[in-house]
Amino acid sequence: MVVQALSSQTESRLGERLSTPLRPVALEQARVFIVVAAFNEAASIADVVRDLKEQYAHVVVVDDGSTDETAELAQEAGATVLSHLINRGQGAALQTGISYVLSQAADYIVTLDVDGQYDVKDIALLLGPISEGKVHATLGCRGASEQKRVPLTVRFRRILQAIGKIGSRMGLHTHLPDAHNGLCAFSRHAATTLDLKLDRTPHSSEIVQQIVAGGLDLQEVPVRVRVSDYALRKGQRSSAALRVAINYILARFTR
Amino acid sequence: MTTFQIFVCALMGMLMVLSLGAALRGTVPKRVVAAALVLWTLGVVAAVWPWTVSGAAQALGIGRGSDLILYLTTLSLAVAVVYSYVRFRRVERQLTLLVRRLAMEAAAERSPGLRSSLPSMTPSASEPARRVESGSAPRLLT
Repeated sequence: MVVQALSSQTESRLGERLSTPLRPVALEQARVFIVVAAFNEAASIADVVRDLKEQYAHVVVVDDGSTDETAELAQEAGATVLSHLINRGQGAALQTGISYVLSQAADYIVTLDVDGQYDVKDIALLLGPISEGKVHATLGCRGASEQKRVPLTVRFRRILQAIGKIGSRMGLHTHLPDAHNGLCAFSRHAATTLDLKLDRTPHSSEIVQQIVAGGLDLQEVPVRVRVSDYALRKGQRSSAALRVAINYILARFTR
Repeated sequence: MTTFQIFVCALMGMLMVLSLGAALRGTVPKRVVAAALVLWTLGVVAAVWPWTVSGAAQALGIGRGSDLILYLTTLSLAVAVVYSYVRFRRVERQLTLLVRRLAMEAAAERSPGLRSSLPSMTPSASEPARRVESGSAPRLLT
């Protein structure tokens, strides 16, 4: 009878992989790992880790060849730290973090950026749909429905992200309003299908692309932008978005 | 012989000597040295007997010998750039895998019991021109 039920499920997918081969674990009993890639973030890493540790037991910081005390500070704040001896890029650092947490039997994985424009409470919003078994991955998006009074730097960055988004659309299969958002959560199964190769891609662009290309379901979850002090201090250089777009295009043709 | 022809012959001669030296030392593969020697010889021929280049150009329907040289040079340059770039990307990939492996090993040392799950070191795309299979999962957990 179980075999019958399984085969009908497979048939309804018609060639697609079974998107939920395992039963999702309830959030309270699940092993949730937060993965943060950091490069010379000594100024803010301790705060970020401490905020996360208040709600989540497992915080993994991947120190991407930092030349300051990022690794030590992250460790002191209570994170598990993996160190790249040399800087390889955020994409590479995230993959290292993902490989590590998979070996630690993670059920759910959340990636986020150090520039901390998120509210830690929003992570639970991202994990909700996954733990209910609806989707394999969720992407935090900063939609139009947020506060009007946003500082100029953030507003300007959005225009650049829109431009970067056009490049992402060439490789993505679904419509995504905020391609360069770093807040992303996914299941263990989705994580096992990942093999990030674009080392210098910031945020989770390649993660989203691979999950979508692999036929797994992904859902956007609106999150709040919490523009804190350290977020503004860091910011993202305008030139970075253009460089990423070019790199991405070149990499797609020269694997 | 003109000054230029003498200069070119001297230069090609020197390059031939260097190439043979590299072949003897074994630093460069024999086939590459052979190709290089052919190239230097053609250089001498082109300088000492310029009409051969014109003849070759005429045969190919190009017209002028110098045009032929120009096209060959441009093509070679383009190929060399693309080849170098692809090789560069491959090295970068291997470097990332190496750094990742070291990071995981360091973590394993801190908390034993991790060793069995170290990721594979082999990149999944080993040919420069081959496209990566979509959705190929690495051997993360053994």
